[in-house]
Amino acid sequence: MEWLRFITGGACILFGLAVACISVIGNFKFKYVLNRMHAAAMNDTLGILFVLLGLIVINGWNFTSLKLFIIICFFWMASPVTAHLVARLEVVTDRERVEKECEVAEDVRL
Amino acid sequence: MSRIRPDYEMTKWRRFQRFVNGEELPEDERKRQEFLHAAREKSARREEEQAAFFLRQKEERASFRKYWKEQERRELERALKERENWADTKGVKLFRRFYHAVSIIICISVIAVLLAVVAELPAFGSGGTPANGNEVAERYIVKGQEETGAVNIVTGMILDYRAFDTLGESHVLFIAACTVLILLRIDHGADGRPTQAKLEAEEDDRQFEPKNDRILQKTAFFLVPCIIIFGIYVILNGHISPGGGFSGGAIIGAGLILHLNAFGFRKTERFFTYRVFQTVTLCSLLFYSAAKCYSFYCGANHLESGIPLGTPGSILSSGLILPLNICVGCVVACTMYTFYAIFRKGGI
Repeated sequence: MEWLRFITGGACILFGLAVACISVIGNFKFKYVLNRMHAAAMNDTLGILFVLLGLIVINGWNFTSLKLFIIICFFWMASPVTAHLVARLEVVTDRERVEKECEVAEDVRL
Repeated sequence: MSRIRPDYEMTKWRRFQRFVNGEELPEDERKRQEFLHAAREKSARREEEQAAFFLRQKEERASFRKYWKEQERRELERALKERENWADTKGVKLFRRFYHAVSIIICISVIAVLLAVVAELPAFGSGGTPANGNEVAERYIVKGQEETGAVNIVTGMILDYRAFDTLGESHVLFIAACTVLILLRIDHGADGRPTQAKLEAEEDDRQFEPKNDRILQKTAFFLVPCIIIFGIYVILNGHISPGGGFSGGAIIGAGLILHLNAFGFRKTERFFTYRVFQTVTLCSLLFYSAAKCYSFYCGANHLESGIPLGTPGSILSSGLILPLNICVGCVVACTMYTFYAIFRKGGI
C-alpha cells in the first residue's frame, strides 16, 4: 500500500513536471502574446494541479493536504482570471493584430 | 624592303628615269599636285586619327584610373563605416553570443555551488552544526522560547532581541511611502477643485484599467476575503508558525489591491482613504515606538517588565511580539496599497 501510494504520487509529480517543461518551452518558442499566454497558463493550472496532487497522495489525509488542496483551488480560480484580463488588455490595445490571428467579438471593451 | 614614297612616281628622279627609259611623262603638273595633296591629306588624316586614338586611349586610361580610385575610396569608406558601426552590427552578434555563453556558465556554476552546499550541510538535528559554536545563536536557540515566549525563534529574534532593527525597517517603509507621495501625488488645486493634471490622470486610469469586468468581480468576491483572512492568520500566528508582520502585511496589501482592481476606486474609498492610511500608519508606528521604548528601559535581563509572556504556543502569548506584529502588518499593508494607488492614479 505504501509503495502503491508512492508510485502513484511520483507518477503524478512527474507528469506535472512534464507539463511544466512543455509550458516553459512553449513560452519561449511562441512569438505571439495569446499563444504564449496559453502556454504559461497551462503551467499554472495543469502542472500545479498534478504536482500538488502527487504531494497530497504521498502525504496522505491530514491538515497539510487540505492546505495543498486549498492552494490548488486558489490557483484554479486566480490563474484563468488573470489570463482573461491579460487577453482582454491585448485585444483592447492591439486590436488589428488580434483580428489577424483570430475572430474577435465586436463589443470587447475595458 | 625600303619604303617607297607615296609620291615616288612624281619625283624628279623618277621622271628623269622615265624620260631616259622613254616612258611617257605624266600629263601635267596639276595632276601631280593633286596627287601630292591627296597623299599629304591622307597622311595627315592618319596622323590625326592616330593622335585621336592616343588621346582616347589616354582618356580611357585616366577614366579607368579614376574609376579604380573611386572604387578604392568607396571600399575604404565602407570599411571605415563598418569599423564605426562595429558595435551595432558585428558587436551585437558577438556580445549576444558572449552573453549566452556567460549566462549559461553562471547558471551552471550557481547551480553547482548550491548543490555542493546542500550536499555539505550537516544532517538535520545533528549536534555538530557550526551554529552551535556561536554563543549568540546558542542563546537564541536555547533560551529564546523561555525569554521571548515565541515558539517561532525567528520572530522572537526580530521582534524581541532585535526589535530596534525592525522598528527602523517599519520607518523605512513609512518614509518610502511618504517619498512616493511627495513625488507622485497629484493634488487638488488651490481652490479645492481638481486640476487639469488630476483629471487627465483619472481619464488615463479609466482607459486602461479593467472596469466592471464581471469575471474578475465574481472571482474577487470570493478571493478577497480569503486572502485578507489568510493575511490576518499569518500575522496573528507570527510567533507560533512561520510568518509575521511583513509577510502577512504583504498578503493583506495584495488583497486590497485585488479589491481595488476588481471594484474600482469608488468602492475601495468607502473604507480606505488617505485619512485611514495616515491614521493607521501613524498609530502603528507610534505604538511600536512607545512599546519598544518601554521595553528598552524596563525589559532588560534582570528587570521586571510586567508584561506576561503567557504559555508558548497559544495565540495570546509572548508578550509584546503579537501587538508589534500587528503594527508591522498594518504599516506594510497600508504602504503596499498606497504605492499601488499612487502609481496608478496619483492619489489614494
